[in-house]
Amino acid sequence: MRMHSLWQQHGRQLGTLIGLLGLSAVLWILTPHFMTISNWLNITQQTAINAIIAVGMTFVIISAGIDLSVGSILALSGVVMAGALKADVPLSLALLFGLAAGFFCGCMNGVLISRGKLPPFIATLGMMSVARGVVLIITDGRPISGFAPSFRVFANAEFLAIPIPVWIMALVYLIAHLVLTRTKLGRYTYAMGGNEEATVLSGVHVRFHKTMIYGISGLLSGLAAVLLTARLNSAQPIAGMMYELDAIAATVIGGTSLLGGEGRIAGTLIGALIMGVLRNGLNLLGVSSFVQQTVIGAVIIVAVLLDMAMKKRRI
Amino acid sequence: MLALDDVQFELQAGEVHVLLGENGAGKSTLVKILSGAHARSAGEILLEGVTVDLNTPRQAQALGISIIYQELNLIPQLSAAANIFLGREPQKMAGILHHYKMIQDAQAILDQLRTGVDAQSRVQDLSVGQQQMVEVAKALSLHARILIMDEPTSALTEQEIKELFTLIRRLKTQGVAIIYISHRLEELYEIGDRVTILRDGKYIATHRLTEIDKSKLIRLMVDRDLGDHFPKVRVQTGEEALRVERVSRRPVLEDISFSLHRGEVVGLAGLLGSGRTELARVLFGADRADEGSIYIHGEKVKLKNPADAIHKQVAYLSEDRKSQGLVLNLPVLDNICLSSLDRFSRLGWVSLKQEAEAATDYIDKLRIRTPHLRQQVRYLSGGNQQKVVISKWLCSQARILIFDEPTRGIDVGAKVEIYQLINQLAADGAAILMISSDLQEILGMSDRILVMCRGRIAAAFSAAEATQENILQFALGENQRAHA
Amino acid sequence: MKRTVFVLLIVSALFSCQRQGSESASVPVIALVMKTLNNPFFIEMQEGAQAAATALQAKLLVQAPERELDVEKQMQIIENLIQRKVAAICVTPSGSKEIIPAIIKANQAGIPILVVDTRVDSAALAEAGAQIATFIGSDNFDGGRMAGRMIIEKLGGKGNIAILEGVPGHETGDSRLRGFHHEVDKAAGISIVASQTANFERDQGYSVFQNILESQQKLDAVFACNDMMALGAVEAIAAANRGGQIVVVGFDAITDAREAIKNGAMTASIAQNPRDMGKIAIENALHLIKGESIPEYIPVKIDLIQ
Repeated sequence: MRMHSLWQQHGRQLGTLIGLLGLSAVLWILTPHFMTISNWLNITQQTAINAIIAVGMTFVIISAGIDLSVGSILALSGVVMAGALKADVPLSLALLFGLAAGFFCGCMNGVLISRGKLPPFIATLGMMSVARGVVLIITDGRPISGFAPSFRVFANAEFLAIPIPVWIMALVYLIAHLVLTRTKLGRYTYAMGGNEEATVLSGVHVRFHKTMIYGISGLLSGLAAVLLTARLNSAQPIAGMMYELDAIAATVIGGTSLLGGEGRIAGTLIGALIMGVLRNGLNLLGVSSFVQQTVIGAVIIVAVLLDMAMKKRRI
Repeated sequence: MLALDDVQFELQAGEVHVLLGENGAGKSTLVKILSGAHARSAGEILLEGVTVDLNTPRQAQALGISIIYQELNLIPQLSAAANIFLGREPQKMAGILHHYKMIQDAQAILDQLRTGVDAQSRVQDLSVGQQQMVEVAKALSLHARILIMDEPTSALTEQEIKELFTLIRRLKTQGVAIIYISHRLEELYEIGDRVTILRDGKYIATHRLTEIDKSKLIRLMVDRDLGDHFPKVRVQTGEEALRVERVSRRPVLEDISFSLHRGEVVGLAGLLGSGRTELARVLFGADRADEGSIYIHGEKVKLKNPADAIHKQVAYLSEDRKSQGLVLNLPVLDNICLSSLDRFSRLGWVSLKQEAEAATDYIDKLRIRTPHLRQQVRYLSGGNQQKVVISKWLCSQARILIFDEPTRGIDVGAKVEIYQLINQLAADGAAILMISSDLQEILGMSDRILVMCRGRIAAAFSAAEATQENILQFALGENQRAHA
Repeated sequence: MKRTVFVLLIVSALFSCQRQGSESASVPVIALVMKTLNNPFFIEMQEGAQAAATALQAKLLVQAPERELDVEKQMQIIENLIQRKVAAICVTPSGSKEIIPAIIKANQAGIPILVVDTRVDSAALAEAGAQIATFIGSDNFDGGRMAGRMIIEKLGGKGNIAILEGVPGHETGDSRLRGFHHEVDKAAGISIVASQTANFERDQGYSVFQNILESQQKLDAVFACNDMMALGAVEAIAAANRGGQIVVVGFDAITDAREAIKNGAMTASIAQNPRDMGKIAIENALHLIKGESIPEYIPVKIDLIQ
């Protein structure tokens, strides 16, 4: 009975986890370079950026929305931060500027959607273009590079032998999980995605909470920008292009329904890791990037097909 | 757990066979098996003496079994004709529609049923009753020999019900067998030939309706004596809880004034579209009034949104619980606490323990049948879903409750429970405005009765003065009378 | 339930395993990390490298990000190749500064990096304390000058010129542009009437140049920082019925461009010889693996194709 309800509540996530473990097992057999500590640190570090963006995407998708602007917001945050660092603004303040820029753009999305009643697809499509345009205007299309070692901590440093980006990712997931399961905002995210009208009629301030959800997505894009900028030691105006698709893919592989109202943060982490492991494994095996793209696309489709098949069986 | 256990059921051509049972008794499961949507684990189905395979909806259709669901399955933007022939459109050649023939054929069926529906009119422009006629026409165009009707009258006006019954009688003479599911006992005697009663997934009995009286029927359904249908308890009314002065929201509401006291149940009667729900939405802050004032506990209030109203301890149990009352894919717990998370949280952090305690408390008190707190509401029966919505508002500590069709689509047993709950609330000093299309319910439960017609309050009666006849008279706008 | 995923993975993995099967311990593995595999220039480079690897009995792994300019993915690939312990990595950087952290990681793992085609920012490299074994490539600055001189000569020292720039901040395009300006700015009769980026892409070259044609009724020549953009411009010229009136000079001399030059739609292109680059890169990687020293700059000749 206990086992049964465990499966009922987390079945989709367990399924994805089994997929990840199976994939890892296959790669373990195929290449000796895969199952090593250094390679897993490598994978988790590579996954961190997409995984963090995907957290915001998960919130947005559970609320029955979509955020196409994450990549552009990432570029904007990165450039704001890099510009501030170059202008000798103290590190903490520069970080704050970058994160604030992300949060602000996200909130703009939220306001357009909740007050302006724009469909999320349209609002964030617009923001994607606007933010990218602003970045190119600010930078004249040129990257801003070369930062003090204090900033590079976000890429290079380790704590307890684990790289800082991985710690940050873990922390983001822990907080996001708690927010989603233990706070009003989290509860309302599910409620809005499940039935917005009923949620409004239950007295929930839907506009505010929706704005916050998109704000969080923007904020996390800003956080991803910190990691990316530190990693490349450069803030590129073209950074983050198409990152929205990777984030959506991780979320969907992780079992979040695009229809809203359903999904778990742990699933998204597994989804992001599946993508990371696939890329890493196919690199190790020397498979061409064309095949990689095909495989990742197939995994997305299969994951969602399985999800639907399982749902049908449960009813 | 078995949803259905060893049920026997026999249907003759040309009869209306009523399927009766409380929510969760197994009616829907039986219907789903007959329609091929659900597989049966044992037993067999015979059609005209021959065992048939019935595993997919397509097979059911081929065997001449059609279902008309409570929620109609029509595409509102398409014409009646297009809906009737959806998926089987007459074609001139492959891919090219024979539009004229389709309309002609559809019109022929609609005329044969004497529905008065124009085959070319768009479904969304038809009344609910007419839409149902279109569904029946669709079933007949599929050469249905067995027609299953699930709560067909729940959204119909008296006149439309009459027309529907005429239609059903005509179908009977054509040899169509009808399985009829309804909770309105009066109706069953009017239209049904035989009745089969299910309880807790088990077969109880089959009777000719001419041989069994209402109280016996109810006893079989719930296995207990209900006594009075409407266990109205009168309580001493207290101070004024809500006062509405000259509120208008044109064109749906015009110059509405009335008051509501603690401990009082005020019935709001009127036809569909008379402005009852619109009034409720204004009182709940879901819509704005153009002019007029609302006083709650003597204080003039501005209700900008539902949150304001809830803050003032107003609750609105909407007529459409699935699309407006519940988040179906969330657990029972989350739905009960949705309006009162503020109470269970500090700095946005929800205390799961307090929340679960409160929800468990309401599940016990209201006797909500659910396996556990985390069950998604979508899997609950209608009556239990309604109780979840009521729990939500009790949990939000509402003192002024607006109930919009609180017992629609709910079986008799659960109905009585809801009436008892309303009594209890009134006894505890809550003020209740109850909107209903069921005149007996209005008469049975209300201390006072307001009748709405075309956006205005057409009449107000005390419980003693009101009768079905005079309420209907004012609701139909055949008489005008200044309200008290 | 997850069976489908398994089947899929196993199939794809076996498929890739097969390609890896011939590898034996004695054969050195060299990686070539490209900007993209969608551009004929890089495909030719890959072919040159593959031919050299086959001839010299080395195993070649070719990898590229899904999207050109995605230097972060390029970095991921290099990290993964380090895990795979390849003997040497040849890379055409998608970002001349952004690739440096990846180079440092290779340095730490003791894997030599050979930079091909696009220079790494030398100041940033020195600042970061990173090491590259060599740079193998043409001098884009000289190529830009060659294009400039050619256009001045064609126009007889007088006329209006438009420029299609590459991705801003991108080393290759920037050097070509500087070289071009170096020659053209000195010529008194020549004026540059428009200079816009088309991000190295053919479709953008088309639309950007269409707009330039619209606004510049008197235009005598266009210099595009790569052939893809030049070919886009050629199509725009044809669409505007101004064929034969405008000198079009591109860069890279890819197959399509050579074709266009042959039939007169395009005037000239600067040939970079990507095939040679690929070949030289592999040859030198093998020298390194054998412990031989190689020069830190290996120029690859450029030609004017007209």
